[in-house]
Amino acid sequence: MSAESSHAHEHHWEWSQAPFWVVAGVFFLVPLTFAAYFQYQNPLLAAIFAGLGTPMLLAGIAMWVNEGLTVKPLIADVAGIGLPIFIISEIFIFLSFFVAYWMMRLGADVWPPEGTPEFPVTLPLIMTVVLLSSSVTIHIAEEKYAHNDHGGFVKWLIFTMLLGLMFISMTFYEYNHLFHEEFYPDTNAFGTIFFSLTGFHASHVIGGLGIFVCVLIPALRGLTNKTFITCASIYWHFVDVVWFFVVSQIYFW
Amino acid sequence: MSMQTFKEWFFTTDHKRIGIMYLIGSMTAFVVAGMMALLIRLEQSQLGPTITDNPNEYNQWLYFHGAAMVLAFLIPGLTGFFANYFLPLMIGAQDVAFPRINAFSIWLFYGAIILALLSFVIPDPPDIMWTGYPPYSITTMGNTAYYVFTLHLLGFSSVLGAVNFLVTVIYMRAPGIGWNQLNIFTWTTVAAFVLQLVFIPVLASAVTMLLFDKYLGTNFFNPEAGGDVLLYQNLFWFYSHPAVYVIFLPAVGILFEIFTTMCKNRVFNYKACVYGGIWGIVGISGFVWVHHLYVSGMPDWLRIGQMVTTLLISVPVGLMVMSMWGTLYKAAITFNTGMLYAISCLFLVLSGGLTGIPLALTAITVHLSETSFVHAHFHFIMAMFSAFAMFGGIYYWFPKMFGRYADGKWATTGFILNIVGVHVTFVPLFIIGAQGMPRRYWDYQMFPQFEPYHQVATLGAFMVAAGMSVTILNWIICAFKGKVAPENPWKSCSLEWTHAPNCPQAGNFPNPPTVTADWSPYGYADREANLKATTDPGFPGAAKPAE
Repeated sequence: MSAESSHAHEHHWEWSQAPFWVVAGVFFLVPLTFAAYFQYQNPLLAAIFAGLGTPMLLAGIAMWVNEGLTVKPLIADVAGIGLPIFIISEIFIFLSFFVAYWMMRLGADVWPPEGTPEFPVTLPLIMTVVLLSSSVTIHIAEEKYAHNDHGGFVKWLIFTMLLGLMFISMTFYEYNHLFHEEFYPDTNAFGTIFFSLTGFHASHVIGGLGIFVCVLIPALRGLTNKTFITCASIYWHFVDVVWFFVVSQIYFW
Repeated sequence: MSMQTFKEWFFTTDHKRIGIMYLIGSMTAFVVAGMMALLIRLEQSQLGPTITDNPNEYNQWLYFHGAAMVLAFLIPGLTGFFANYFLPLMIGAQDVAFPRINAFSIWLFYGAIILALLSFVIPDPPDIMWTGYPPYSITTMGNTAYYVFTLHLLGFSSVLGAVNFLVTVIYMRAPGIGWNQLNIFTWTTVAAFVLQLVFIPVLASAVTMLLFDKYLGTNFFNPEAGGDVLLYQNLFWFYSHPAVYVIFLPAVGILFEIFTTMCKNRVFNYKACVYGGIWGIVGISGFVWVHHLYVSGMPDWLRIGQMVTTLLISVPVGLMVMSMWGTLYKAAITFNTGMLYAISCLFLVLSGGLTGIPLALTAITVHLSETSFVHAHFHFIMAMFSAFAMFGGIYYWFPKMFGRYADGKWATTGFILNIVGVHVTFVPLFIIGAQGMPRRYWDYQMFPQFEPYHQVATLGAFMVAAGMSVTILNWIICAFKGKVAPENPWKSCSLEWTHAPNCPQAGNFPNPPTVTADWSPYGYADREANLKATTDPGFPGAAKPAE
C-alpha cells in the first residue's frame, strides 16, 4: 500500500507499483535482451532492451524494499517461513544439475574426459573457508542486531559482503585461469557441468550480495526490519551449504 | 475511471482482484489457443494442403495451442484464478500471506503471455511444441529462447504462488479451523502447490540446459561430447507428468465444492479422499514420468516398474471418484449449469481414465504411442475434464464474484454444444488413433481412409467453438446485466458463502469468522448447529442461526 492510498476506512483496496516494475525490468532485461543478442544477433537491440530494463528493475526493487521497511504486513514474521519453503524449490534446481552431472559422469567411459586440465586443490579450499567465514560473520551481524547494536550490525554486514565479494573474485580468477588453458563450457561434458554448476552457485552468491545491498543501504539510514535480515541470512546460509555439495562433487571426487 | 480506481485495479495486491486478472489472462490464452485448435482442425479436414502449404506454420499453431492451453490456461486458471479468489475466502483469511508477491506472480504470468503472443510477430518463432525435445529444439532456426523464457516466467510465477499459498493455508486459517475441517478444494490446491514447488524447478533446469546448449554451446544433450539426449526427456517429464495432477487435483476440488453444495451432503469418505486420494496422488506422482519415454527405450525392469506405478495412480484417483459418487448417493440434487458441468465431469474422468490404461500397459502402448489415441486420451482428462470443472466452478461461484447469476438458457445451450462437440471431436480420433493415425502431423497422405473421421472431428471442433462463444459471451453479459443473486444463493455451508458477502470488498469479511471443532464446511446434516459453531457473519442477508 502506498501512502497516498490511505483512507479513513478500516479496509481499503491495497495496491503497490513495485511488483509491476520489477517484472517489467526482468522482462526487458532477460528474455528480450537475451533473444535479441543470441537469437537475432543484434547487439544494438540487446543494449536498448537492457538499457530499458535495468532502471525499471532497480526502481522496482527500491520501491519494494522501501515498502517492506515502512508498511506493516498483514501477518507478522511469516516471511521467515516462506523463504525456507522457497529454498525447497531452489534445492531442486541444484539437484537437477547434479543429476545431469551424475548421469554424464557415471555413463562416461573415462573421467575426466579428454581436454580437461589439471584442477587446483588449494583455491577451492580457500574459497570454502572464505564462504564459511561469511556465514559466521552474518550470524554475528544478526546477534549484534538482536542486541540492538546497530553500528556493530552494519560493520559485520559489511564484513560479510566483503567476504562474498572475495569469493566471487576468486571464482572469476579461476574461470580466467581455465580459459587460458583452453577449457570452456563447450570443451566437453565436464566443462559443461563445471561452468554451469559453479556459475549457477556464483549467481546465487551474487543474488545474496544483492539482497545484502538492499539491507545495507536502508540500514545506513537507520531503517531495518528483523524479518528481512533473518531472510537474507537464511538465504546466505543456504548458498553456503550448497557450496559444500558443489565443491565436494566437482573438485574432490 | 479515475486514476485512483485505475491504480487500485492495475497495481492491485488484493487476492480477489488478482484472481480476476488471472481469469482474464487465462481466458484470453484459452481463446487464442482455441483458435489455433480450429486452424489445426481445418488443416486436417482434407488430405493435402488445406489452409496452409507450409508445415512450419502448422507447427507454430501446434506450439501455441499446446503451450498456451496447458501453461497459460489450465494451470493459471486453476492455481491462479480459482486458488487466488476462493482459497483465502474458504479458510476465512483477509488476504494471502504475501500480497505483493501475489502481484509479482500475476505480472510474471502476464509477461509470459506477452512473450508467447510475441511469437506471432517475431521472425523465426518457436516451433518446438510445448515439449521442446532436443536435438530439434537445439538445431532449429526457431526462437527456442522465447520458449525457454516463457517457461521460466510461468515457473517462477507458480513457485512463488506455491510459497504464498502454502504459508497462507498453514498460518492464516480462521481461528479454530482444523486440518479435517478444510474444504476439499483447499486440500487439492495445497497438494497442487506442493507439486509445483517441488517439480517446477526441475523443468526450469531442463529448459535452462536447453538454452545453454543452443546458445552457449554446452553439451548437456549432446551425446558426441558426453551429454545425454534422454536426460532432457527425463527432466521434462519429471515435471510435466505431475503437472497433469497440478491441473487434475484443483479441478477435482472444484467438483467437490459443487457436488456437496448442490447435493446438500457431506463429502463421502472425507479422510480417505484427502489422505488417500489427494496425498496418494502427490506421493506417487514423482514415480511415473518414465511412461512418457516408453518408446525412447529403457531397460525392462524400469519399464515394468513404471507400468506398475502408473497403474497404481488409479487407486488414489479411484478413492476420489468414489467420494464423488458417494456424495451424490441418495442426495436431493439441485440441477443448475454448474452442476451440469460437474456431472458431465464424472463421465469424462471415466472415459479419459479408462483410455489411459492401455497407454500404461507396456505391451499395448508401443502400438498406440504417438497416435491420435494418445492425443484424444489426454484431451479427455486435461482439455475436457479439467476445463469443464473450471467452467462449472465459474457458474457455481459467479454469484459470489459478481453478485449475479450466469445460469439460464444461454448457459445451458453453451453446455450442450460443448459436451456434444467435444465428443464429436475426440471419439473419431480415438478410433483412427487405434488404427494408426499419427499425431502432430501436418498431413496424412499415407492414410486417405481417415479423411472422413477428420472431417467429423473438425465439425465437432466448430461445435465447441460455438458453444464456448455462447458461454463466454454469456459470462461477460451476466457479469454486468445478469439476474441479481441473493446472499448465499445455493445455501452452502462453506465460509466463502456464509461469512463473506457477494462481491467481497477489501478485507473480505465484515466480521472475520471463528469456528469451533463442531463446524464443518459440509455441515448440511444440521445447518442450525453448524451456523452456531461459527461467529455471526455480520452483514445483511447472511444466514444466521435461530436463537
